[in-house]
Amino acid sequence: MKRKNNGKDFCFFALPGMICFFAVVIIPFLYGVYLTLTDWNGVSKVKHLVGLENFAGVLKDTQFWTSLLLTFKYVIAVVILVNVIAFFLAYLLTRGMKGQNFFRAGFFTPNLIGGIVLGYIWQFVFSRVFVSIGESTGWSLFEISWLSQPNMAFAALVLVTVWQLSGYMILIYVAGFMGLSEDVMEAASIDGANGWVKMKNIVLPLMMSSITICLFLTLSRAFMVYDVNLSLTAGAPYGTTQMAAMHVYEKAFTSRQFGVGQAEAVILFLIVACISGLQVYITKKKEVEA
Amino acid sequence: MKKRNRARIFALGTAGVLAAGMLSGCTFGFASDPDDPNEKEKEIPIDTSVDTFSYDSSLAGTEITLLNSKAEIQAALTETAEVFEEKSGIHVEVMPVTEGDSPYTKVVSLYNSGTPPTMAILDTTDIVALAEEKALDLSDQPWIEEAGEYITKVNGKVYSLPLCVEGRGLIYNKAAIEETLGEEFDPESIHTLEEFQAFLDRLVDAGMEKPVSMAKEDWSLGAHHLQYVYETYDGTAEGTQEMIGLLKDGSLELETYDRMSQFLDMFDVLKQYNVAAADPLGADYDEMAIDLVDGKTAIWFNGNWAWPNLEEAGAEETDEYGFLPYFMNNDPDDYVNSEIQASPSKQVMIDGQMAGEKEQEAAKEFFNWIVYSEIGQQMLVKTCSLVPPFQNNPNEPIDPLGRDIYENIHGQTAYNSPAIVPNDHWSILGASMQKYLAGRCGREELIQDMKDYWAEQE
Amino acid sequence: MKNTEIGGTRKKVTHAAAITALIVIFIAYMFPFIMVLINSLKQKRDIIKSPFSWLFTIKGLSFDNFVKAFVQMDFLNAFKNSLLVTAAATILVTLLAAMLAYYIVRHNNKISNLTFALMVASMIIPFQAIMIPLVSIYGGTLNILNHRVTLIFMHTGFAMAMSVFMFHGFIKGSIPIALEEAAYIDGCTKSQTFFRIVFPLLKPIISTMVILNAMAFWNDFLLPSLVLTDKKLLTLPLSTYSFYGTYSADYGTIMAGLLLCVIPILILYVILQKQIISGVVAGAVK
Repeated sequence: MKRKNNGKDFCFFALPGMICFFAVVIIPFLYGVYLTLTDWNGVSKVKHLVGLENFAGVLKDTQFWTSLLLTFKYVIAVVILVNVIAFFLAYLLTRGMKGQNFFRAGFFTPNLIGGIVLGYIWQFVFSRVFVSIGESTGWSLFEISWLSQPNMAFAALVLVTVWQLSGYMILIYVAGFMGLSEDVMEAASIDGANGWVKMKNIVLPLMMSSITICLFLTLSRAFMVYDVNLSLTAGAPYGTTQMAAMHVYEKAFTSRQFGVGQAEAVILFLIVACISGLQVYITKKKEVEA
Repeated sequence: MKKRNRARIFALGTAGVLAAGMLSGCTFGFASDPDDPNEKEKEIPIDTSVDTFSYDSSLAGTEITLLNSKAEIQAALTETAEVFEEKSGIHVEVMPVTEGDSPYTKVVSLYNSGTPPTMAILDTTDIVALAEEKALDLSDQPWIEEAGEYITKVNGKVYSLPLCVEGRGLIYNKAAIEETLGEEFDPESIHTLEEFQAFLDRLVDAGMEKPVSMAKEDWSLGAHHLQYVYETYDGTAEGTQEMIGLLKDGSLELETYDRMSQFLDMFDVLKQYNVAAADPLGADYDEMAIDLVDGKTAIWFNGNWAWPNLEEAGAEETDEYGFLPYFMNNDPDDYVNSEIQASPSKQVMIDGQMAGEKEQEAAKEFFNWIVYSEIGQQMLVKTCSLVPPFQNNPNEPIDPLGRDIYENIHGQTAYNSPAIVPNDHWSILGASMQKYLAGRCGREELIQDMKDYWAEQE
Repeated sequence: MKNTEIGGTRKKVTHAAAITALIVIFIAYMFPFIMVLINSLKQKRDIIKSPFSWLFTIKGLSFDNFVKAFVQMDFLNAFKNSLLVTAAATILVTLLAAMLAYYIVRHNNKISNLTFALMVASMIIPFQAIMIPLVSIYGGTLNILNHRVTLIFMHTGFAMAMSVFMFHGFIKGSIPIALEEAAYIDGCTKSQTFFRIVFPLLKPIISTMVILNAMAFWNDFLLPSLVLTDKKLLTLPLSTYSFYGTYSADYGTIMAGLLLCVIPILILYVILQKQIISGVVAGAVK
């Protein structure tokens, strides 16, 4: 009986969603991949197939590889910080304390602002507010705008991303903690001498599916950071904070090498796909063991 | 513990602030303050009594679009388009280029979406990039004569109308200088870099610690500063292109090129007296406008497009602001030390690919209206506050910066030698200039970056 | 949860420390918002020169920025547009994604596995890579840009992968198949089972996905800017374009406009948050 309805079920349950997805994401992506094999510059009327010429251009583009290296550094910092912070805040916010809903809403608010505006606001905070605090207090940390020093500008990018993403991840971890039974949460109380051990042995394995999701989301988002990069630092000072996605965009539109930019986007996709595939494989395995 | 206290104080303070904000907001918040510069609606009367322009009535009812990449004139341009519609019956929809988008990206995406704008206001480099592929050939248009040397040609053909002339140099605040020095200031009295530096020293001695503001933005450093190297080849558009050709094929040695070192000499002087010298890459654009108006500084390297910022910072149209040249050496007879660089910056092209004949005719009518009709001429200068490139336009700019550029052009003390460089020039070499400005690289490295950049260009 | 009181002083100490840490971090999180709130009430000059100054020490405090933002954004119209697009796309994607995820979890066949793998992979496609192809196809070939429906469709498509991913995890982990089998025995059809039994159980994840998706649609800038050019159709984030000049930005109005954009979604979040909790409680009662 089940088998007979399979086709109907498929059309009813799966097809509408799949159509949307394929029409908007997969087909344009495939077309985009095709474009990397042509010499189309974004405006010309005709395009010729040029094979892998654009990919050869990517190899020559040292800036791309530099930006990719920087992106790796950034991803490592962001993934660790976001998940550690979000996990513990979510834990604290599911213990039934007073006002926890208020806190949850508060931590989530950074996500309510779109990336571009968010970058502008932080730019304002770093270059005006912090400097103004520095002037009146004399704290050397704020004396010079963070955004004008390469290392501090990088730190600023990480900070803003952590600020924004952790709220999102808190939401998922909160859902995960709430899915755990009361007994587990009791046992997981970190009070007492062996609290940490319990946390590690009881809670972590049960939270593994949330962790898988959060790791994957932070990983992919961090790799593709663009909005905040553009509006917070725009690569400044002197191009030291240009991440891969921003470089791709610049290459395609500012340097007008559309094919090379598109090819870089595809390469970026492949790299992220490998890394997050590996991550999902590893954490999923842990889930099964649990 | 300390942290906790600080947090508590902070929380208390915040609560207090919010409460105070609410209270004061309720008492006098909503009444709009007449002194608020944001509130002031500038109404410049346009005389519409005389209109000798002959409208083509067959075009009435046509709808065309205009992509505007000059954000600061968006409202004025919309108003201009409305008046044009009233007179001609042609509807012009002004579309803005939104934040986060570059004009070029916007045009490319519009072309790909099959709905390109009938007219597009773009930077000269973008026009050159798109001209032969997309733009309508305008070589037969009458206004070419009026625009004279400000016409840009691509392979001998004209594809765009120059919308405005923009000049750049060292903006000075005359009142601030005179107040500091206690004597009359004559901008014409400075003829060389040495004299300029002596002038800055006098300001410093008189108590203005750091008299110069310079932007850290890559477009300012990479395009507006650095391009003096190319634009001072012989002061003509052709010469500049020739110079860029020499750079591309590597036959010009930047290490020994005199304009290169002269440019850096000037840049070093500006750098030395920079008000943000402690953190040059932390300089804030809006703060520079305020500092100049307040007289904290006397000089700001920028162009006449900066007027709205100065005005917002409190400057009046009757105040005396103007431009000093970008002094590059100590030869008083060298034109760079007495003339201002002023070139057409924004140009308008008409789509030649998708637009119908009627739309194209309507767009041409709009161009002619701006150039020839009494109303269009006024609106270009007064409503949009642009410096017109057309000799037949009798209106003079109202703001001091535009007026100074206008006077320089008409007094033959302006040179027009725009460098048409690859589009990523400002961003890539702007980064190198930032490095130089911050003192993290020397002349050799900067020149090497430039050489590497040009070596990559075809 | 009552047990906290039974614990000794040690427990109380760690509890207090945790709360303190929470408050400190919370304030750090709120700092930019406080800055936005304060500065949205000030004039540009004060914002630039003394961004940190308390309100009562400066002059020129007013709600002018809000009035200006409200007028320049054509707030009511943009609000209506944003609301329509966000609501339609959110409902659509929630429904379709839940169904698709349900199908994938319960039908372990090649199509489901392939689709799911593609979806997970697609979440890491940089948007820049599909931006131009997307407008070429929908504008150049199909010529259906500049309609709200197109934007809703695209939002739905782009949010699909992530939503299916989340629903998939939840259904797999928390919806026991026994419930559905019981329903079949009672004579329910597949769709009846889904809508009457499974869908209500998805409440917590639905609330989560509604807020995440609604927020993303509400704030999205890049996609609407590619799809919509007609002024009458502009959404809230697009309508703030006039605050950004070529060379400088109108900070006060931007901040006021930002607050105007954020408040509606904040209200939605507060409402939905209760739903998330009641959803979990309902799940526990079963």
